Amino acid sequence: MGENLLTAVYFCGISNEHAEIIDIAEVAAYTKTISLVGEIWHQKDFPVIDPDEVAAKIRGDGIKRIVITGYQPGMFKSFFTKAMVQAGNDPGDVFLACFGEFGAYKRADTERAKAILACAIYGVSFEEAASPEEVDTSLDTLVIGGGIAGIQASLEIANGNQKVYLVERTGTIGGHMAMFDKTFPTLDCAACILTPKMVEVGQHPNIDLMTYCEVKDVTGEPGNYKVKILQKARRVDLATCIGCGTCSEKCPRKAVSEFDADTTLRKAIYIPFPQAVPNKYLIDADNCTYVENGKCGVCAKVCPVPDCINLDEQDELVEVTVGNIIVATGFKVFDAKRIERYGYGKYPNVVTSLEFERLVNAAGPTSGDITFRTQDKKKNWIFAPEGNKPKSIALIHCIGSRDENYHKYCSKVCCMYSLKLAHLVKEKLPDAEVYEYYIDMRSFGKGYQEFYERIKNEGVNIIRGRTAKIDQDGDKLLLRSEDIVGDRLIEQSVDMAILAVGLEPREDTTEIGEMLGISIDSDGWFNEVNYVSDPVDTFTGGITVAGVCQGPKDIPDTVAQASAAASRVLQSILKGKIRKSIKELSLESIEKRAKELSIIMEGQL
Amino acid sequence: MNQLVNPELKQELLKYGLKEWNDCFHCGNCTAICSLTEQGFLFPRKGIRALQLGLKQSLAGSTDPWLCYYCGECTETCPRDANPAELMMSIRRYLTKVYDWTGLAGLFYRSKLALFIGFILVLIAVIAVGYVKHFETEALMKFGHLFEQLVILAVFGLILLPNIFHMFWLTIVKQKVKAPISAYITGIWHLIWNVFTQNRSLKCETGSFRWFEHFLIVIGYISLLFVTVFLNWFSTTNTIIIWLGYIVGGIVFVFTFHFIIGRLNKKREVTKYSHPSDWLFVIWLFLLGFTAFIVRVLIDTNLIDNNLWLYIIHLIVIAQWGILLVPFGKWTHFLYRSFAIYFAYLKKSALKRQGAI
Repeated sequence: MGENLLTAVYFCGISNEHAEIIDIAEVAAYTKTISLVGEIWHQKDFPVIDPDEVAAKIRGDGIKRIVITGYQPGMFKSFFTKAMVQAGNDPGDVFLACFGEFGAYKRADTERAKAILACAIYGVSFEEAASPEEVDTSLDTLVIGGGIAGIQASLEIANGNQKVYLVERTGTIGGHMAMFDKTFPTLDCAACILTPKMVEVGQHPNIDLMTYCEVKDVTGEPGNYKVKILQKARRVDLATCIGCGTCSEKCPRKAVSEFDADTTLRKAIYIPFPQAVPNKYLIDADNCTYVENGKCGVCAKVCPVPDCINLDEQDELVEVTVGNIIVATGFKVFDAKRIERYGYGKYPNVVTSLEFERLVNAAGPTSGDITFRTQDKKKNWIFAPEGNKPKSIALIHCIGSRDENYHKYCSKVCCMYSLKLAHLVKEKLPDAEVYEYYIDMRSFGKGYQEFYERIKNEGVNIIRGRTAKIDQDGDKLLLRSEDIVGDRLIEQSVDMAILAVGLEPREDTTEIGEMLGISIDSDGWFNEVNYVSDPVDTFTGGITVAGVCQGPKDIPDTVAQASAAASRVLQSILKGKIRKSIKELSLESIEKRAKELSIIMEGQL
Repeated sequence: MNQLVNPELKQELLKYGLKEWNDCFHCGNCTAICSLTEQGFLFPRKGIRALQLGLKQSLAGSTDPWLCYYCGECTETCPRDANPAELMMSIRRYLTKVYDWTGLAGLFYRSKLALFIGFILVLIAVIAVGYVKHFETEALMKFGHLFEQLVILAVFGLILLPNIFHMFWLTIVKQKVKAPISAYITGIWHLIWNVFTQNRSLKCETGSFRWFEHFLIVIGYISLLFVTVFLNWFSTTNTIIIWLGYIVGGIVFVFTFHFIIGRLNKKREVTKYSHPSDWLFVIWLFLLGFTAFIVRVLIDTNLIDNNLWLYIIHLIVIAQWGILLVPFGKWTHFLYRSFAIYFAYLKKSALKRQGAI
């Protein structure tokens, strides 16, 4: 029986000085209450782990099992395994209890840490022991975010004949993907893939599309979430607007177009882009003269449909009840202004990749012509069809990614989209010279390496070496880089530089995380239960994540993950039952279950 | 050039202040951001590469580390926090050991104990000399003056000059740099100009004040040496010389004091990391200027006879400086850097002749 397995617990690498991290003294005190535990060792008492010394201890104390715990227990496993072998024990009886693996990061997660450790002491997996009970669930689902992840997940569920509320913050669904010209590595037109799906969402009888809305509050529990959604005043009636555009034509106010990545201007009453779903106008209250001082109202006067435009419409709070929630809130791109030496925001011909996506897009501000930024009458820098064309373009990878000063992580998509952009430049300006400066070319994935080879053969100069700075030199931009393979310094003069900006979490990720009760990792992305084996569930029952909000990924991965999240939701809908949150399981119940499981396992041997 | 990989090189560099060599992922940002790099002289990244691979000969034969003036911009912008600037500094300390034929430079860098013993021995020796001279002011000052001249001659002739030749051997002869004879002659002007002005550092991002400060210290130090050793400041009655000494002594101790404060504040990249050798260098330079100043004040106020101990302290500082810090410590960077610029000039001429740049 399990009682014979005298266990030693080794706490690695943590002190209690940090108020934010898990309280080790408390966890250690709890550990002592488990009868199996014979010894508690702390790393500070073991400055050097000498397997011989540990083996002697193991023999002396009659220890049969060792549990290593902490934030990075795996680092110590080899030492203890060796010691166990030397002491003549089963090396398989070294268990790891990694706090982070099961979502215990902060002091508030101390109870979770205890449960993780208890499971390891009983030699059972946490996932198995911490299996919450199932309760009845509402069959409706909420999807937060109308990008490709949200669209895909909504369609999967709606096509299974289940009700979906798709909440999107802006006036249209489509997200970042709608802004792109092509997708890698197939060079399919992004809009050709996306817009049919968008239309399907718009027309689907099972999808309640809620654009220009924000989720404000989530209460209740798995299977029965009460969600408060703020319907922001669109000021244009969705049901009656015929999308004729007269209002926008006559509107006197201009504002930057978010859809064109702030590179053009739109009116205060606008449609985000021609294929928007819903294809109806809306008023940007922050830039509307009527909203500011009540002295305009031109749009309402010229609108051919009576009562369609209601300038005094107010925000409205809607409440829905859902069983499951899919979080697909996406990302924002890194703000290139933060790295001053690249001159973004200072030199007009330094552009970000997202701006360039719009520029090169056939439905973009220049109808797909690659031109320099020009100044309009009011001195705003915009992309316009009449701009001159560059003869040389440089692409610089890893802007804000893989950089200890900004984001340590790799944004995963920049290498590939840069290659794609290089191809598009070559396609549209065959005589232009294209230079790509990269650190490492990460062309993982099906068909990606082939794509890289193809772009190399198209005559793009691909140089290994990160550009360190950009200076303006007359009309030209001067880039300084080290060509590492060619062993030389390159001072490259180009007409335009594209900064391949990385992906980062949205500003309100923490807020959403707190509202939904889901945790956030050190980079700011939402935490999944297990990156390898459970990449869509969160520790909160009924809440799954999909798309870049869980970590950088490209469109194929996003679509796959969205479908996976939808399958989790459909699982619970089909059963009519949903698992409660792991985080609500009491420590006692997890410990009890772990003990039972260990006895069952013992019996099986 | 074929050479053996030396895996212990990294371990050895740890003893010269290197913290970590493995962070660098070779993006080339440091080389590209540096305003001193040019075709054929790519640093710091290539130095880091040589270090990581254990290419001892490449490292020993490179003048590049000396071309860096430590503005710290590479470290500030390094995406891996690999601290290339301090890495270059560690390589410079290591090179000081490589050039030194006596082996003492390496010993003093590696072992604080050895250095401490050296300082104590010199201190005892100076006091012993004082004892032999019965602590008579005039006799001691005469001895001190003679001692200064002898030390300068010996240190240059026996240690530094051979080291320079060794450096020449490693960086030019062994690297098979075939520079035209004319470059050897035109380069001399380069050398002299750089010894006094170090004007290359004006290109650095740290700006002209740092250069100016450094320039004043160099000029102040050389002038102080000249005034005390060749114009015999402590025994002269010439008012101009006395005032000149006061001014240069003052300059040295004021600016070195500012250097020390900077290293304590750690506000700029260049002052963030201080190796014991950096501390010794600035503190002893400060003490040199300061004690010289005080001694001359005592002479002028006729108080020196009653305060001879202050002169003995000055003598101890000078002896420790001259015997230990100048030939084996950070002082040598002044010399090696100047010659490295000369050798780099030769290398550049050779590359130009080959049409490589």
